Amino acid sequence: MNLPILPTTVVGSYSMPGWLERLKTEYFARRISRHELDEIHDSAVKAAIKDQEVAGVDIITDGELRRDNMIDYFAERLPGVQTDHGSKKFYYDFYDSVVRGKIPMASLRLVDDYRFLAANTDRATKFCVTGPHSLVKRIRDEFYKDEEAFAMDIARVINLELKELVRAGVRYFQIDEPYYSGFPEDLQWGVRVINTLVDGVDARITLHVCYGNRYGKPSWAGNYRYLFPTILDANVHQLSLEFARRGGEDLELFKEFSNKFELGAGVIDVKGHEVETPEMVAERIRKALQFVPPDRLHILPDCGCLHLPREVAFNKLKAMVQGARLVRREVGG
Amino acid sequence: MILHVNHLQPDRTALTSSVVSSLVTVAGEGQVPRRILDNLSVHLDWVQYKTNFREAVTVRRATKGEDLCPWIEVGVDLRQVRQDTLKEEFIQALNEAAADATSRKRVYLEPFTPMRCSIIWTFNNLFWHHLPLWEKASGRGFEKALPSGQSDANHPLAIADSVADFWTLLKDLENQKQLPAEIFVLEIGVGTGKRAAVWLNRFRDLDRERGTQYYPRIRFLLSDYSVTTLDAAQQTVKDHRELASFLAVDALDPFKSLSFLRYKVLYIHLTNVYDNLPTDELVTRDGRLYFVEVRSYLPAAEASRISEAFGVPPAEFIRTVVRLLEAGPQHLSLSDLQQGVGFWRAVWDAVRLEERFVSIEGVSEAPLPPGIRPSQLETFIASAGTNQRFHVSSGAVESFVNTVPLLHPRGFLQVQDIFVTDLADYSRMFRGPGKMDGSVVNWVNGALLAEVGEQAGYDVHFAPFHYREGSRTSILYTTHRE
Repeated sequence: MNLPILPTTVVGSYSMPGWLERLKTEYFARRISRHELDEIHDSAVKAAIKDQEVAGVDIITDGELRRDNMIDYFAERLPGVQTDHGSKKFYYDFYDSVVRGKIPMASLRLVDDYRFLAANTDRATKFCVTGPHSLVKRIRDEFYKDEEAFAMDIARVINLELKELVRAGVRYFQIDEPYYSGFPEDLQWGVRVINTLVDGVDARITLHVCYGNRYGKPSWAGNYRYLFPTILDANVHQLSLEFARRGGEDLELFKEFSNKFELGAGVIDVKGHEVETPEMVAERIRKALQFVPPDRLHILPDCGCLHLPREVAFNKLKAMVQGARLVRREVGG
Repeated sequence: MILHVNHLQPDRTALTSSVVSSLVTVAGEGQVPRRILDNLSVHLDWVQYKTNFREAVTVRRATKGEDLCPWIEVGVDLRQVRQDTLKEEFIQALNEAAADATSRKRVYLEPFTPMRCSIIWTFNNLFWHHLPLWEKASGRGFEKALPSGQSDANHPLAIADSVADFWTLLKDLENQKQLPAEIFVLEIGVGTGKRAAVWLNRFRDLDRERGTQYYPRIRFLLSDYSVTTLDAAQQTVKDHRELASFLAVDALDPFKSLSFLRYKVLYIHLTNVYDNLPTDELVTRDGRLYFVEVRSYLPAAEASRISEAFGVPPAEFIRTVVRLLEAGPQHLSLSDLQQGVGFWRAVWDAVRLEERFVSIEGVSEAPLPPGIRPSQLETFIASAGTNQRFHVSSGAVESFVNTVPLLHPRGFLQVQDIFVTDLADYSRMFRGPGKMDGSVVNWVNGALLAEVGEQAGYDVHFAPFHYREGSRTSILYTTHRE
């Protein structure tokens, strides 16, 4: 599928409607069935796909609306991880998850999610998975006693799943590792784990690193300098970083450290409800172009739109697309 | 007739039982019509605040749309009630319940309105804007009006612990190479500025002692909505003027003035601010939901007495009160400022609130604080008992949700105030509104704040203020939720 120059995409999640939050919580309270919830999810995902298409986004996702949060959807599926289903009262809470033995190799059953997405759009699609580093920070370890070893086993399981997804048709993956920013000292082994995760996966791989978006707020502060130069060893095609909320100072790092990566530049602040204008977006893209050539620049929000009201999320995506179009004309795309 | 004994004081059980006995006697003697008795609930309360807005015996009716509900509620304040007049007041209250408002001997200052919109909050603003005038007339500072005669905000041990906790946070951030170049601290509602000064002194000393060089990086923002107060605070913290800034900030919406500090403030503190912000009240009765409307009034006899004492023609009384609230005591047509302040104090002392319950179908019709969706509170409100009355703490919740976006991801919000941390506690004690000198005071619905905080991604905990024996203050402690 041909993409324009400066392609636009999203960082996984789309606005979670209030009614869907309530229905998810109803499911936990056993007031609606799994079958009913699956049907509800299907409808919500179709609506999220449609919104992204209408907004004009080039590479879309399923909005991750089936997921309670970025951890539990994977923790529940990881073989050998036990989740206490009584441990949360609100769908967005984290389960109390624990691993008590070596994680065996088994399917995560994610292919159906992708097939549903692909069946409902003609656009290019992206599949997002939470990275092992983030998962080990939220799953209690009573076996490995070594975070890297634990993460490495998770990476091997997800690696198999990514290959299965490639066979099903996935061409773009995004690995989410926001916890790097909270634990920069882990980065060296974090990159080794990422390389195991993507080994032999025949697709374009983006590594998304932000400062957290839990409840629509940052979880950490700082800057991206901690990523360099270690991140240069990651076998990924693209780094997706946030610049809209935090400003573009860290773009300098792409000039300071010679690298092979595409840049997925966050140009939409997902923590504020004020909708950017296309001109504002265009200005942010122009700034990124001072450090990365147009054929290596992708345009996206800082992070997922999960916590934005639907109208706000939709209008922000539209502004992003329109801003990208403004700059495309300037760079001859 | 159903009797609810909401607050039993162990050393006053004799009083309670004699009041109960009197009420039962009145009912049994046939002095109250049967149809009223069938629909009557009597609530016995101990109204904590010596000065408040209630008569000893108060009647409350409920409305549904245009119609008056058949049931009648009578509140008896065990603190004010006099045994020799109880029967008479009880029967009179029930007679008034059935009568038109014009027949009551009251001078109303406003029509029925939701509690948070009542004119009592205009009196409250007047107090803070003209605090020096009030203090001069009363001969004491406003902190002396507090039950302990002093503010818990300035307790040196509490401040020392606060500083130690904050220093530990900074050290931890430094160890993780995440300490910002500028360390923002915000106090909302600084009062005299004494707490800020003590805090800064203590922090400077600790920083020097440990050689950490954090003190010069502190940016201490003192905020208040009264510029007069800020001017006074500026003097109090003059030893730290290079790192202190003074900002006029609306306590209901600090983010409006300070949005440039989004996610940057490492420590935010408030003491006795939330209890002074407007609130609404919700009531459940037999499983139905109501919100409280009030209208302020003065007993006609009190209005006459005040008119006479200050030479205000009776026909001009309400107009004079309105002018007082709009322009201040210095602009009344009285002989001098002293008279103006005296009029203000006399009116405030006599102001009462008449209450009624407005029936609503569900939480979506309730007067919720701005920014709160009904769906967020449905489960919480459903957890209230079938006969409960509680604050929505509209102003406190509004302030809270407009403050936490300023918090740095590792920052914390600390609030010292009087909190009801368990919704059930509302059934056991009167929680306001009361009068604190010239201002309004209400306990704050901490359980509701915790619920709102949790849904917005913040953990909210409460700890008793253990630095002063007998203190009713609690410390709310908020951090980002994982």
